[in-house]
Amino acid sequence: MAQLKERQLVTFLVENQTRFYRLAYSYLKNREEALDAVQSAVCRALEKQDSLQEPDAMRAWFYRILINICTDVLRRRKLVTLIPPEALDAGSYEDPLPSDGTLAERVNALPPEIQTIIKLRFYEELSLKEISMVTGCNLSTVKTRLYSGLKKLRIELKGDLA
Amino acid sequence: MNELKDAKKEYEETPLPEELDGRVQAGIRQGRAAWARRRWRRGFTAVAACLAVAVGALNLSPTVAAAAADVPVLGGLFRILTVRNYEAAEDGINYQVSVPEVEAGGNLADKVNEAIQEKVDSHLEKARQDWEAYREAFFATGGTEEEWGDREMDVFVDYEVKSQTDTQVSFVVTLAEGWVSAMEEQYCYNLDLAENRNITLEDLLGSDWVNICNTAIQEQIDASVDSEGFTYFFAPEEGGFTTVDETTSFYINEDGNPVVVFPEYSIAAGAAGIVEFEIAKA
Repeated sequence: MAQLKERQLVTFLVENQTRFYRLAYSYLKNREEALDAVQSAVCRALEKQDSLQEPDAMRAWFYRILINICTDVLRRRKLVTLIPPEALDAGSYEDPLPSDGTLAERVNALPPEIQTIIKLRFYEELSLKEISMVTGCNLSTVKTRLYSGLKKLRIELKGDLA
Repeated sequence: MNELKDAKKEYEETPLPEELDGRVQAGIRQGRAAWARRRWRRGFTAVAACLAVAVGALNLSPTVAAAAADVPVLGGLFRILTVRNYEAAEDGINYQVSVPEVEAGGNLADKVNEAIQEKVDSHLEKARQDWEAYREAFFATGGTEEEWGDREMDVFVDYEVKSQTDTQVSFVVTLAEGWVSAMEEQYCYNLDLAENRNITLEDLLGSDWVNICNTAIQEQIDASVDSEGFTYFFAPEEGGFTTVDETTSFYINEDGNPVVVFPEYSIAAGAAGIVEFEIAKA
């Protein structure tokens, strides 16, 4: 039983590794840190595999681990700034909402909790219910954040997003 | 909505590093080991219960008694006991602690016990401080209670007897801390209780022990390079392995061979974890 679950988990992790890396990279924008994040998340998932009750929830469960690790790294970065401000060129300052740049860049400039929802919904194609499991927010919060994110990105809504 | 399709395309064009698969595999290995350790700890109480039953059985069955005579734990000059053993969860920290003690005559055992006790105490204290610092930083940078959620830290102390004879014992104490990142330290003890002293690599390998170790370790490092020229080990000029010395840590395995142990990050990338090299006796 447990062995079967572990095999399923390992297969899932190996098959989707490129998705995990892309997602981690989209948060961290740094190759080494993204690799570290993926490795830590994979390690953590195997270690905590007993906490995964429903194999159907594997995807949401793993994304939660990965995103928590990425946001922790970002949070620690805020705390420890290694680069003196004068060493940064103007372009590397984070603009909260650049009106130019590609849509993907604008997504990355959104507040983290909204960014996560947009990425999971449109890049990773998770259902709203899965996103609610990943983020630990209830369904209506997820919807509100999704709509506000799309509004900030100035994207017209057509039909139901769920 | 088509714009989002373009954004997705751009996102999917993120270049993928070559090491990705290797790093995922390393994560799987580390995670599996950590999981096995957890399960082993949980199984420990069950094993203890079995032992209690076995003691009762000794009086009954000649077969069991004869088999038990081969078990080296019974008798001899010394015993390794678990002096502190508990599992607890407190303030988001899960403790799994099992501390060994050497019971034997002579001051060597006392010294070793004291050293272990000290290391365990400072490990537990450091873990608590790390966790507190992490929690403070989390909220100081705008983290919410909701996001903090089910975060937890594992603190782990355990030991393993690697080999023993009537007069000698080799065991390893592992101290670990796991949360966002994981760190693990091992301390090896190789005791000769008859002579009341520590066993050295020279005792096991003879006067040429430095050369014997260095050759064997270098061979194993060279063998670790894969077909693409990748290895976790650092080159000597990058702070990689150069030589063993009196401070090099080792334990003795069941074949009686020394196994040299290097801490995490000391001679190889962190992904390799603690690295070990068995040195065959000539």
